[in-house]
Amino acid sequence: MARNLAAFLVLFLALSICEAAKIFEPISDLHRSAALELLTPVDGLDASLEETYEALRVFDILAIEKKPEGSTTTCQKVLDNLESSSPPKDLFYALKVNSLLKCWVNEEVFETIASRLKATINDASTLLDIYYSIGSLVLIKDQASNVDVLLADADGTFHSIKVLSQGDGRWRYSSNNPDSSTYAAGLALEALAGVVSLAASEVDQSRINTVKNDILKLFDSIEKYDDGSFYFGEKIVSTSEHQSSLSTTASVVRGLTKFAAVFSGKLNLPGDKILGLAKFFLGIGIPGDAKDFFNQVESLAFLESNRVSIPLILSLPATVYSLTQKDQLKVRVNTVLGSAAPPLTVKLVRAFSTDAKDLAITESKELQYEPKNGLHVLDLFSKNMDVGNYVFVFEMVLKDSDSSSDFTTGGQIHVPIYITGVIKVGNAEIAVLDSDLGSIETQKALDFAGNGIVSLSANHLQKLRLSFQLTTPYGRAFKPQQAFLKLRHETKVEHVFVVESTGDKFEIILDFLGLVEKLFYLTGRYDIELTVGDSVMENSFLRPLGHVELDLPVAPEKASRPPPPPVCPYSRYGPKPEITHVFRAHEKRPPQNLSLTFLSLTLLPFIGFLVGLLRIGVNLKNFPSATVPATYASLFHIGIAAVLLLYVLFWLKLDLFTTLKTLGFLGAILLFFGHRILAHLASTSAKLKSA
Amino acid sequence: MSKLVVFLFLALIPLLPLLCNSFSPEKPSDRRVLVLLDDFAIKSSHSSFFKPLQSRGFDLDFKLADDPKISLQRYGQYLYDALILFCPTIERFGGSIDAAAILDFVDSGHDLIVAADSNASDLIREIATECGVDFDEDPAAMVVDHSGYAVSATEGDHTLIASDDFIKSDVILGSKKIEAPVLFQGIGHSLNPSNSLVLKVLSASPSAYSANPKSKLTSPPSLTGSSISLVSVVQARNDARILISGSLSMFSNRFFRSGVQKAGSPVKHEKSGNERFLTELSKWVFHERGHLKAVNVQHHKIGEADEPAIYRINDDLEYSVDVYEWSGTSWEPYVADDVQVQFYMMSPYVLKTLSTDGKGRFFTSFKVPDVYGVFQFKVEYQRLGYTSLSLSKQIPVRPFRHNEYERFIPAAYPYYGAAFSMVRISFSRIFAFVFLSLN
Repeated sequence: MARNLAAFLVLFLALSICEAAKIFEPISDLHRSAALELLTPVDGLDASLEETYEALRVFDILAIEKKPEGSTTTCQKVLDNLESSSPPKDLFYALKVNSLLKCWVNEEVFETIASRLKATINDASTLLDIYYSIGSLVLIKDQASNVDVLLADADGTFHSIKVLSQGDGRWRYSSNNPDSSTYAAGLALEALAGVVSLAASEVDQSRINTVKNDILKLFDSIEKYDDGSFYFGEKIVSTSEHQSSLSTTASVVRGLTKFAAVFSGKLNLPGDKILGLAKFFLGIGIPGDAKDFFNQVESLAFLESNRVSIPLILSLPATVYSLTQKDQLKVRVNTVLGSAAPPLTVKLVRAFSTDAKDLAITESKELQYEPKNGLHVLDLFSKNMDVGNYVFVFEMVLKDSDSSSDFTTGGQIHVPIYITGVIKVGNAEIAVLDSDLGSIETQKALDFAGNGIVSLSANHLQKLRLSFQLTTPYGRAFKPQQAFLKLRHETKVEHVFVVESTGDKFEIILDFLGLVEKLFYLTGRYDIELTVGDSVMENSFLRPLGHVELDLPVAPEKASRPPPPPVCPYSRYGPKPEITHVFRAHEKRPPQNLSLTFLSLTLLPFIGFLVGLLRIGVNLKNFPSATVPATYASLFHIGIAAVLLLYVLFWLKLDLFTTLKTLGFLGAILLFFGHRILAHLASTSAKLKSA
Repeated sequence: MSKLVVFLFLALIPLLPLLCNSFSPEKPSDRRVLVLLDDFAIKSSHSSFFKPLQSRGFDLDFKLADDPKISLQRYGQYLYDALILFCPTIERFGGSIDAAAILDFVDSGHDLIVAADSNASDLIREIATECGVDFDEDPAAMVVDHSGYAVSATEGDHTLIASDDFIKSDVILGSKKIEAPVLFQGIGHSLNPSNSLVLKVLSASPSAYSANPKSKLTSPPSLTGSSISLVSVVQARNDARILISGSLSMFSNRFFRSGVQKAGSPVKHEKSGNERFLTELSKWVFHERGHLKAVNVQHHKIGEADEPAIYRINDDLEYSVDVYEWSGTSWEPYVADDVQVQFYMMSPYVLKTLSTDGKGRFFTSFKVPDVYGVFQFKVEYQRLGYTSLSLSKQIPVRPFRHNEYERFIPAAYPYYGAAFSMVRISFSRIFAFVFLSLN
């Protein structure tokens, strides 16, 4: 249990160190190109003045030399806003744009606005109204020095803002709104700073001190991320005025720095919190939203020149160093916006390997400053800097000790450093051993540099042994994180084994007798693959070693089945093979000529009969000669011929029903005429007999 | 008066779905997308992924995942066509959403994008498991690749992977090849072998493994090699599409903009493949591609134009169907050479590949088998990445009628002849005999 706890603590410490060691990069050219990409469409024609101001301000801070397109139309928009009686918010942003674009505005316009704004301040009840009005007056003061903007009743205005403050340092938006907001606190601080700078007579020092207390209380509610960055979160979610933590923090920073700038004393805020705020803004990276971008860059600009303490950011161009290239350790110290830091020295306090934290690898060293590229460098790759993961601890010491209170450096900074190198692989061999005796049956040396592969064969009573050695460039044993031996059966069933190290030698013995169950009793060819890799090993490799023919016993019935192989999506979705129906074959028939020949043979007797008939001659002397019987006789014969014709038609095409119908009709006629002619014949024969 | 108002209100309720412009079979692209975030900062740090979606006309609704007011449906109607979960750490959604509600959402044919990360919560893992994707159970595990990592001066632990092992499918990833590798940093997953609908879109390299990068390994990791999937998609049978990624940062602006050089490769790409890869993938997930419809199924005897009510065995028939693919804005003719029709009665009697004229019409002709019964024309078209087409049309097949057999068999002519001459002669003989004897 105690061991588990200790292990947990070690893990926790490792995590906390690693997390504290996140490096923040100051604003760089990446930001500038992103700004051009993101904000260029904003300063166009249909953007609001607020958006235009944000874009212009970002360009101004980042020193991007870009002539905004359509600045004349923007100026026109500014003038329109100033001359009409627009609400304080629009005036505020119009003046802000004017402060950057320097449009030509009449002094009289400023005069009228200033008097109107003063009136607004006196009877304003909401924080936003006061904020915009005072902000506008401050801007007018900067833009037109002759205009009278000073507040006669500065104390009263100060008080009317201050009554909205809450016990915990947050502010309410108006007196009838009970929700307090951190975002509003930022606005209030900025407004108060404006009041102080606009005051005709000095504002009472005790009032300022209470505001200072408010700021300290506000900082009690600051929130912290694991990587050492601080931010202000907005508690109220219910209102539509909800602000993200970025805009809330930006608002507080703006208010704080502006307030700290207007009075002579010094705010006693801990430097690490200011640095934490800077880290919060830098940790965002490059925001993709124009508003977020503006908040980030503007807040960093305020932090860069604030009067509380200016954060200095230590960054490393690279944290991965290669032993083969023998690079120098380079450290850069900048302000948040990436400009040069005051003269200072960077010390490497200590360096330790993440495996052995107590063992310091180097003593304290001072880095050399190279003025030409602004880097602090150190040659450190000595004999005891072998490949591995290290944590370097840096400290910044300002040369000018008077100014050290103006800056915050964050104390000791832990930076993870990876030192990589080429690992030598040697003494690799693979062998098949007899189980009981341990005698070597076949042994083969492996050369990982070449492409040679081995082919082995073994049965379940034997063992497979693979061994190799890994050494660092300085000849020490090296233990990589990844040392896998993979056996892959023909049926794509894979087995992964971790190769363990004993001393400086890596060895794995696969005892097939104990593994038959795990191998699912699958006899056949297994491909052997070795993967060795580590984050500091430059020559990590995945190498097929060859194959082994395994002869395993037949699986018992209860043995577990191998897992189903993964289905290949390409074959599953392919078209199916075509199916054509096999029709029933016709019965075999003789060729038609044969049938016709036999037909003619069968008709021969009939033809002979006909010929015979012709030879005999037709005897028609009994045919009646009288008209009536002759008609009956001929009709009777025609009827017989019709029936015979019907039979021919039945034979050729008619069906039974049609035939029977017609036959019924013909039969009736035939019966009638037959009767007649027979009656006639009977009467003639009776006459003959009687005669 | 109040009764009238209530009546009017009730009368208008059925019209509500018509008021919103939404997913329909005629226009299968999604329109309204709910994006659930852990933190609003993701909206701006991942804007390069969201911006193109908005410019393609999607209506993205960003909400915090624990916002108590979020819901997927109201009055039984879904409010969204698709859901993006960019909240890997959420333990419990706000409002009425839970894992079952999300699965119901998918079961009713809506799309889903899930991004997990190294600290993914059990809830996200559960949703993924239900979709056929099992994330590595070790909460500290990440995908590590010591051979296929992205070269970086500041990331030394090889968890930033440059992967270019894409699925070979034009419909999922677009017809243009993605040149640059895709940056990935997060957790790996494996596909459930019993789920046949889930596909690996981006796989890890054979040397990759999933483990805690900070600890030494004593037992083999549960996931190794190219069986690790980094990004997977599901094409469900109801046309719902799901995208599951083990990395949230692969959607971020930082990865979109970053250059990439894969370890061991001399080529350094100016820009990573993430933007192309994820844009193409989002087009697929949101049904701007690979959605098929089949219309105008026709069949008739050769030489006739009308569809008969019944076929006779051995008839020659023609079958045709029009297939169109949705391009995001219009239905374009579908071009393929592997659409097949089956003439089916308990098993296919005829299975034939349809020819096409390149304008969406697929046709073929074949002879009705000499087996009678109730058949079906079946088109079961399932292709990688496309929605499945399943058409069936029932048609009976009858045998020959008695008068449809051949009337004269040449082989029987000798019998006819023999019978005829026999009958004639004997009849005439008897007749003559009787006649002669009577006279």
